[in-house]
Amino acid sequence: MIDFGYGLTPSATLKIENVDNPLFAELHRREPDVSKCIACGSCAASCSAGVFTQMNLRKVILSLQRGREKETLPMLQHCMLCGKCLLVCPRGINTRHLILSIGKVYKLEDK
Amino acid sequence: MRERILAAYDPFVLPFVFGMTFVLGYCLIALVKVLVQLTPADRRKFALSLITPTTIVKNIRDLFCDCLLHVKLWKRNPVLGYMHSSIAFGWFMIILIGHIETVLYIPERLHKLYYPIFFRYFMEEQNETLQGSFFFFLMDFFLLIILSGITIAIIKRFRSKIVGMRRTTKLTLTDRIGLYSLWAIFPLRWIAEGFTAGVAGGSFMTVPINWLLHNFMSKPENITVAWWLYSLALGTFMTVLPFTRYMHIPAEMLLIPMRNAGLPVRHTRKGFALTMLYSCPSCGVCIDACPMGVQKKNVKDATVYLVRNLKRRNNRRTLENAEKCLMCGKCAALCQVQMDACGLRLAYRTTHEQRSNHLPADFGYLAAVEPDVSAAGKTGVTAAAEAGAGSSGTSVGAQKVLYYAGCMSSLTPVISRSVQKVLTSAGVDYELMDKDGSICCGRPLMLAGHQEEARQLIEANRRLIEASGARILLVSCAICYRIFKEKYDLSGITVMHYTEYFNQLLKEGRLHVSNGHQTLVYHDPCDLGRGCGIYDAPREALRTVGQLVPALKERKESICCGGSVGSLTLRYEDREPITRGAIDNLTANNPEQIITACPLCLKTFGRFSPVLVKDFAEVLAEHLTPAQPTQA
Amino acid sequence: MSQNVVVIGGGPAGLEASRSLRDLGYTPILIEKEPVLGGHLARWDRLFPDGVEARSFLDPMVADLDGIKYFTDTEVSSINRLKDTWVVKLSNGLSAQVRAILLTTGFDLFKAEKKEEYGYGIYERVITNADLEDWFKSGAGPQFDNVNVIGFVHCVGSRDEKAGNRQCSKVCCVTAVKQACEIKEKFPGATVYCFYMDLRMFGRRYEDLYLKAQKDYGIRFVRGRVSEVSEDLDGHLFVKAEDTLFGKPMKIKMDMLVLMAGMAPSASTQPLARMVNIQTGEDGFFLPQSIIGKPCTSSREGIFFAGAATGPKTLPETLSEAASAALAIDRFLKTPQKR
Repeated sequence: MIDFGYGLTPSATLKIENVDNPLFAELHRREPDVSKCIACGSCAASCSAGVFTQMNLRKVILSLQRGREKETLPMLQHCMLCGKCLLVCPRGINTRHLILSIGKVYKLEDK
Repeated sequence: MRERILAAYDPFVLPFVFGMTFVLGYCLIALVKVLVQLTPADRRKFALSLITPTTIVKNIRDLFCDCLLHVKLWKRNPVLGYMHSSIAFGWFMIILIGHIETVLYIPERLHKLYYPIFFRYFMEEQNETLQGSFFFFLMDFFLLIILSGITIAIIKRFRSKIVGMRRTTKLTLTDRIGLYSLWAIFPLRWIAEGFTAGVAGGSFMTVPINWLLHNFMSKPENITVAWWLYSLALGTFMTVLPFTRYMHIPAEMLLIPMRNAGLPVRHTRKGFALTMLYSCPSCGVCIDACPMGVQKKNVKDATVYLVRNLKRRNNRRTLENAEKCLMCGKCAALCQVQMDACGLRLAYRTTHEQRSNHLPADFGYLAAVEPDVSAAGKTGVTAAAEAGAGSSGTSVGAQKVLYYAGCMSSLTPVISRSVQKVLTSAGVDYELMDKDGSICCGRPLMLAGHQEEARQLIEANRRLIEASGARILLVSCAICYRIFKEKYDLSGITVMHYTEYFNQLLKEGRLHVSNGHQTLVYHDPCDLGRGCGIYDAPREALRTVGQLVPALKERKESICCGGSVGSLTLRYEDREPITRGAIDNLTANNPEQIITACPLCLKTFGRFSPVLVKDFAEVLAEHLTPAQPTQA
Repeated sequence: MSQNVVVIGGGPAGLEASRSLRDLGYTPILIEKEPVLGGHLARWDRLFPDGVEARSFLDPMVADLDGIKYFTDTEVSSINRLKDTWVVKLSNGLSAQVRAILLTTGFDLFKAEKKEEYGYGIYERVITNADLEDWFKSGAGPQFDNVNVIGFVHCVGSRDEKAGNRQCSKVCCVTAVKQACEIKEKFPGATVYCFYMDLRMFGRRYEDLYLKAQKDYGIRFVRGRVSEVSEDLDGHLFVKAEDTLFGKPMKIKMDMLVLMAGMAPSASTQPLARMVNIQTGEDGFFLPQSIIGKPCTSSREGIFFAGAATGPKTLPETLSEAASAALAIDRFLKTPQKR
């Protein structure tokens, strides 16, 4: 009997269960305001590095929340820590501290 | 004068000898440790400074004025100044005079460490001589001075408000032992010498005591007890000294020459920094200075506690303190031993980041950034520049300017607009460096402890600046200005902050403004004022457009706006009280407008100020008048 | 001789409540600090969702003031408690002693200059929603040529810690969609963008308005917040935002930008709250006894609220509250006084 499940082909859907909960919990412990993000895009719109590169803090936070932390490295690498995102965030998140904390919690070195 | 005790020894000297040996040994080992921890280059620099005549003079002068006379403290608060200099200078004098006495009367005993200290016990005056009376008088005189200082110290410990301090440092247990033994030393000396005044002679302090309790004081066994107590107090003090804040006494003697040699803070706990840590006298001036002190919960993050936690190797507390600090520099500016508080914290942040950061930075994209030369500064303006002032090579207005607005300025468009208005009015040939997005100057990255990465930004910006062909780099942000001045190496290009540049334009007659007669108060940005020493240029310029009133605390003592990117961890809600405190300070004399010279200050004050906040360029641009026909 | 009731604030809430009170047999004393009655409603052109003219509501209200004593250009100088009455002194020298006061002080528009990065007051081509209504209504306002690209920025001064207002102003989203359609009518060839964080289309037929905007007017909705605005030599604007749904930052050249300034607490709120000793919320608006069950009564006897004084509201809600407050006052005044 052939099983007509779709087990052979890789799924294109988002596996939200893959979120590394202990790591995100540690990030949340260092920067509790990370949960306040409403993904409005102010940070990405004002980002100094975003003009030249892929850096997009909104996407970084979203990726971490969806368990795709590896995708954050090509973005976070370019951050100049200039602080414009901090100045515009409507939720008052300390974005610089968030980025610095991500750098400490998630082991994102180039392999 | 002759020896009363021929053995020149009594067991009571032992506590003192033990303490003295211990503290001298400790200091010697510490000295060696510090010198070993210096880099070879720093060591060489230090050694050279010790034989340079100008530095030698400076060292002697600083040692005298700071260590003995506490001149800086006098300027801050005469009562505290008197308290410290009376004890320091007085004690120095009685030690010195004790040695002089020994040299004069009984030089063969000079090798005994304790002899000059307990001179009054071992020697007696047979016949009253003028010289003897003179020395007795001097000793008693300085003893009186010291005792007056000790009295103030005791009052200060219980009622610090009487001597003008709002908050004072919380003492550790060892500090307390040191403090109480220090307090005890001089009254005990007074009593001990009072005991022997009957047999050895004395002066106006010691003789009356002897008269009062003559019978009690003449008994030999009582005399010995008194000297035992004195020796014990001395011994205790010196034994605990290395573990208390009084370590600053020997440490400052090393700190001053090292600082005058120009040594930098490299590692938070080694070399020069170690000397600095031990030089902290825990005086608590930094507690009142810290702008975060508007909230009681931030008092534990003042620099005095940073130093304490560094010494105790309490990494958790040190990190919390180091990352929270606004890096405004006010504690360092007011510090009585000129502690480089920002340097210590920056060194700690750098080491911490190196150890714990797993995110490799990649600024390769900066190399691909091409200079975007905007046409705005070129057409029409060059013609005016040529037709305008007769070209004097040194006139800043005649030189080509590259204007770097900086990251923050895109969020405060009034600044860039006003600067361009002023430049156009003055007929300056200028270009905009960051019209289409800027590369950050690098200072926020540097303050976060990422020194290497900041260097890459600096390199990229330097390339763009030097390619522009400008002679002057004009910045409207105090943060940018500071790093351009300190870390960038721009050959042939002068970096100017717009306050000094516009002031210069006014003086050269290239810029004309009218006076609106409104009352203005100027806020000294931390990085511009304390950071780079620019206090007068903005004020001179502002006086041409309005009436300047002072803030309660300004210049070196100005209060940080609270918006600094120097703090890594301060939450947005916790910055508001700091900002409000700074605004209260500025509006004390009821100005109509607050003028800032940094976009971050402008944005931060603008949120909460009841009074209109304007940027320096904005207020100048508002009062521009067309150039008068020049007297040809 | 009918009882007096002081109504502070002559906007739609105050006008409607005054009429209800008068119909119930009381003599309202209506106090308005501006020279004209009508509050903000007097400035609006057409109302959402159907585009009815604001004056069709306002004019009947203002015409029907018989039996209402109203004073314009007048402010309240002081209010004191005297036994179980309130003594209200006005800036014109008159005073009234009443058992009930109705606060209908409404709201203030957020001062868009405070959001410096948008350049209101610096760039000519940046205006607010109120400026646009002025333009629609009276033709007064900026006269721009070549208006080809227009942008609307939602949430200016709302939902923003940095602007000092955490609250959502409720009506700006639907106003933006309304104004986007209206401006498209004025400039049919223009491209109109709406930059939003969320689209709050909660009311009856608001969602239909949104559908119409998309389908019939071709309004382009971009989900993302505007971070900064700059200007080129001709005064045209460069608007930086992120298209969060697409995931990339963008920079658009525009001819006009409309900022949807939100509802902030009225400047009269704090002084009045102090005078009668009532609380305001963290957001600065008056706190009623219960936001759900008793929105029109306060914790103090004899003080009542209606309208935007207790938080951002739509016009229908305001008019309902005004009628409800009048009834509450009536019930209160008919209750026998405690000895």
